[in-house]
Amino acid sequence: MDQFKWIGGYLRRHKGYLALGFACVTAFSIFCMVPPVLARAIVDGVIIGGDRKGLPTLLALIMAVSVTRQAVGFTRGVVFEHISQSVVYRIRMDIYDKLQSLEFAFFDRNRTGDLMARLTGDMEAVRHFVGGVLHSIYERASIFIFATVMVFTVHVPIALCLVGLTPIIAFMTYRFAREVRLTFLAVREQFSRLNSTVQESVSGNKVVKAFAQEGFEIAKHDAENAEYMERNLDTIRVWQRYIPILDIMAGSLTVIVILAGGLFSIYGGLTLGGLIMVNGYLWALNDPMRMAGWLISDTQRFVASCVKIMGLLETDPAIAGPAGGSAPTAPMRGAVEFRGVRFAYGEGAEVLRGIDFKVPAGCKVAVMGATGSGKSTFVSLISRFYDCTAGEVLIDGVDVRDREPVALRESVSTAMQDVFLFSDTIEGNIAYGVPDVPFAEVVAAAKVACAHGFIEAMPEGYDTIIGERGVGLSGGQRQRIALARAVIKAPSILILDDTTSSVDMETEVEVQRNLKSAYGDMTVFIVAHRISSVRDADVIFVLDDGLIAERGTHEELLDAGGLYREIYDQQMVG
Amino acid sequence: MARNKYDVDEDLTGRFDRRKLVRMLGYLRPHRRRLALVMAFMLCVSFIGLLGPLLLRHVLDVAIPGRQVGAIVAIALAYLAITVAGGAFARVRLRNMAYIGQDVIRSIRKHIFDHLQTLPFAYYDGRPHGKIIVRVVNYVNSLSDLLSNGILNLINDFLSLVFIVCFMLYVDVTLTLICMAGFPPLVAAVMLVKNMQRKRSQRMSAKLSNLNAYIHESIAGMRVTQSFAREGCNAGIFDGLNLTYRKYWMMFVRGQYVMYPIIDLLSNASVVLVYSFGVWGLDAGAAVGGGITVGVLIAILNYVWRFWQPITNIGNFYNQIINAMAYLERIFETIDEEPAVRDLPGASEMPPIKGEVEFRGVTFGYDADSPLVLEDVRFSVGVGESVALVGPTGAGKTTIISLLCRFYDLTGGSVLIDGVDIRSVRLGSLRRQMGVMLQDTFIFTGTVMDNIRYGRLDATDDEVVAAAKAVKAHGFISRVEDGYETQVNERGSRLSVGQRQLISFARALLADPRILILDEATSSIDTRTELELQEGLASLLKGRTSFIIAHRLSTIKGASRIMFVADRGIVESGSHGELMALRGSYFAMHSAQYGDKKNNG
Repeated sequence: MDQFKWIGGYLRRHKGYLALGFACVTAFSIFCMVPPVLARAIVDGVIIGGDRKGLPTLLALIMAVSVTRQAVGFTRGVVFEHISQSVVYRIRMDIYDKLQSLEFAFFDRNRTGDLMARLTGDMEAVRHFVGGVLHSIYERASIFIFATVMVFTVHVPIALCLVGLTPIIAFMTYRFAREVRLTFLAVREQFSRLNSTVQESVSGNKVVKAFAQEGFEIAKHDAENAEYMERNLDTIRVWQRYIPILDIMAGSLTVIVILAGGLFSIYGGLTLGGLIMVNGYLWALNDPMRMAGWLISDTQRFVASCVKIMGLLETDPAIAGPAGGSAPTAPMRGAVEFRGVRFAYGEGAEVLRGIDFKVPAGCKVAVMGATGSGKSTFVSLISRFYDCTAGEVLIDGVDVRDREPVALRESVSTAMQDVFLFSDTIEGNIAYGVPDVPFAEVVAAAKVACAHGFIEAMPEGYDTIIGERGVGLSGGQRQRIALARAVIKAPSILILDDTTSSVDMETEVEVQRNLKSAYGDMTVFIVAHRISSVRDADVIFVLDDGLIAERGTHEELLDAGGLYREIYDQQMVG
Repeated sequence: MARNKYDVDEDLTGRFDRRKLVRMLGYLRPHRRRLALVMAFMLCVSFIGLLGPLLLRHVLDVAIPGRQVGAIVAIALAYLAITVAGGAFARVRLRNMAYIGQDVIRSIRKHIFDHLQTLPFAYYDGRPHGKIIVRVVNYVNSLSDLLSNGILNLINDFLSLVFIVCFMLYVDVTLTLICMAGFPPLVAAVMLVKNMQRKRSQRMSAKLSNLNAYIHESIAGMRVTQSFAREGCNAGIFDGLNLTYRKYWMMFVRGQYVMYPIIDLLSNASVVLVYSFGVWGLDAGAAVGGGITVGVLIAILNYVWRFWQPITNIGNFYNQIINAMAYLERIFETIDEEPAVRDLPGASEMPPIKGEVEFRGVTFGYDADSPLVLEDVRFSVGVGESVALVGPTGAGKTTIISLLCRFYDLTGGSVLIDGVDIRSVRLGSLRRQMGVMLQDTFIFTGTVMDNIRYGRLDATDDEVVAAAKAVKAHGFISRVEDGYETQVNERGSRLSVGQRQLISFARALLADPRILILDEATSSIDTRTELELQEGLASLLKGRTSFIIAHRLSTIKGASRIMFVADRGIVESGSHGELMALRGSYFAMHSAQYGDKKNNG
């Protein structure tokens, strides 16, 4: 079973604790065997045999066993909790690291709520298995075996009668495990879906309210919620078929003790004390049987979660550093070249159909074009958020695929079109890329982005906590914080993807002036729609239908009288 | 606004509140018939189960010494019948209790989710979304076991305890009393552990909530993280949250494991006492004749073990309850959150809107202790007017339109539509007549068709296509392989921001609103598409009132009125020509974009 091999890899790191834990379980099980022995001694020796003097010793032994057993039991509990917490901690970190290493395309494909479920609900199943189920299985099995051995020492025929049921039970649990696993897989799937529905409804709450679609959201949630209940009931339906049978089997052990035990004590030389001792082991024989169903069920729940977790962990990042790790580490200067770059998202139509250009370090490049003409795709290839499907993207003459993505992105800073801010202080958001930067630099970056003024005007200034996605700030304010966040890194290449679309014009002019003076030698790519944003660029690319349709300076393109001229005329009317 | 974030614990509430438990039990009410049935069955079964030791005593005391094979067989058969009946019952119970448990979970989740729908923007703005999501999904799930089996077991355990005591008293009074001596110390121990565990479990769940909030935000913001190469730093933060949670979990669990040893020690102590007194009583009984026999002693000892089993169970249940309380409190806290914006008592339906809008001395601040965003704003807009709101970022343009849709309630003044105060009508009836396109273009998982249709669910496919055509979205949608059936998801991956804006725009238009509100609807759309769009829109908007927020002058100029928003109010208002003639703020803004037009034009 792959899942067990996989979890074994994590468990192996805690060999010492595991050994201690299993030793405790073994000791615990052995101690569980003692009370019936003592009971027999008391009944046969003290009560029936009349040896009253032995009683105090035996009673002291009972207490001693209890104390030791509980000490061992406590240690066992804490040790396994520790192991399970450490394993879950490790898996969580591994998933988190894996998620961080996966490319944009992965997040395009997978829903946030779905991925969240890996780190919440599925973790719970793993925790429960390692912390509770694992040692319970071992404990129940060893108690069962010890008790069987003990019963054999008392009276072989009665022991054979009791053990005779075992194969049937083994068969039942095997069938049960197989059936219940399928239902758990379905439960996990539905859990993810439910989580995603809730997550979207929470994240999209503004749209929901704007269109007064609360009723629709409720209906959508009701359906997923009911489906989740239904999937859980499927599991129960399997339980219903097996658990009562296992219960009956466990109960029939008592019947055997009464019947066989009674007959053997009349005819087969079983002493009364012996019968009482066997009776004392009854729970040790039937409790594992009773529990088998539940333990199997929990194990299968764990397996179902593992399937999902392993699926995620086994996803290979499509964008990674070069094999062999010989990535150049020299700092980038910022010359950018595209050679015959083509790009399509997945199986879709080509968005870029052969882009060629070369700009020197320090160049200011503007990119214009119609909605959906591929502007954002174009600039996202520079930071290698996606890999081009054909051609090469080179920075300082080195293919971006030959660098470590992290090292590349240290030097290329992007203010994305779709501003995402974190629920953190404004300072924390601006310093996102350089967490240890001195406060003065945060202020300086905010000033460049013309954000200092409105930040200062807030009651708590830079310590103001902004909500997730930047709630509480206007669109233009969010964009300026995102801009400050991008410039504070002092990158070699700065990419501004429609960063000032919601900023008013006066401020925009000021932002551009600031950018020019503060970061003169950076290579800058500006995606924009307003002529005022692009006119001062060293070169302007106008994208059309996946190709660079026009390139040149503002003046050159105006004279050329093409697309750019058209846009200019439209904007300058009036 | 006091916002919560991932490294801030949610407030811990004080005492263990029994009313919350009672309230949870309220969810069981609809199932009381089923519960009663299962309970009745269960009582029979546990009563019969307790006959076991008596049967065994009979075997030991009477049948074996008397060599009565027939009696042994009869008793074995009786026991078998009990076992099979128990198994059959287990099935009934499993089915019913699982159903009840799942159904209660479903209704609690529905309750909390439905309530969330009534909560205003401010609620969602005030805390990380991850913390809201786990309440609805994970916290509710964690109650599952408690509800499906816990409570029933609890009642069963209590009753078994009573039965057992009765049986024990029937067998021998003295030994029973001796056995029960362990009870007072147990209660004392439980109370002690409870107080300790209560705090620990609350702290643990707060840490879990932080961890979840961070998980959610990390995934949602992964693109930014990667583009800033901040993976290392985030892994560090996550590591910290993860370790903290582990620490508090271990602390909690250690407390939990204290319980078992206490119970076990007490139960063994009582066994020892029973033995001592039993043996002593045996001798005394033998002296006077009658009294304690071997059978009595064995039967009592059998009950003593059974006596402690339900107590252990109850102890466990108590632990569970303490743990669940931490979750339950969060759930009820959410359900109890008063919607700040809601229908007032006696609110009527908003009559069909003609489109007259008036702000009367509107004053607004997002929070009591934050500065005012708008102060004494007054204006009125006639039917069919198109109003452009312009001004510096953060001046309050979005706030004005949010107030018009009543996303927030005013601090002072009133907003009237067709002379009706919007607070006096039902929210749904108001918003359904308005089409709002927000700055934040949210795309739901589903097809493009579904997303546009979100504006009006009963729209036909043709109507959806017509809306898409009107906003010039039809072109790019039909170019994609699956057209309107293309799957898109939450953050609208594979759609450019401009395309998402067009889809959101179509959505707003499809709602066939009487008042259309566009908050930077076209900021990421190129000028040519925008112009085409405006031409097509002009006819659609005829007779409808519209509010447009934009920065591009080409977008603004077509408006019949332009309002310049600054300094917590409207500083200039009039047509483009009028405002230009005024040579004020609007003129200055205009010059910024066209400043050197003359040199190049």
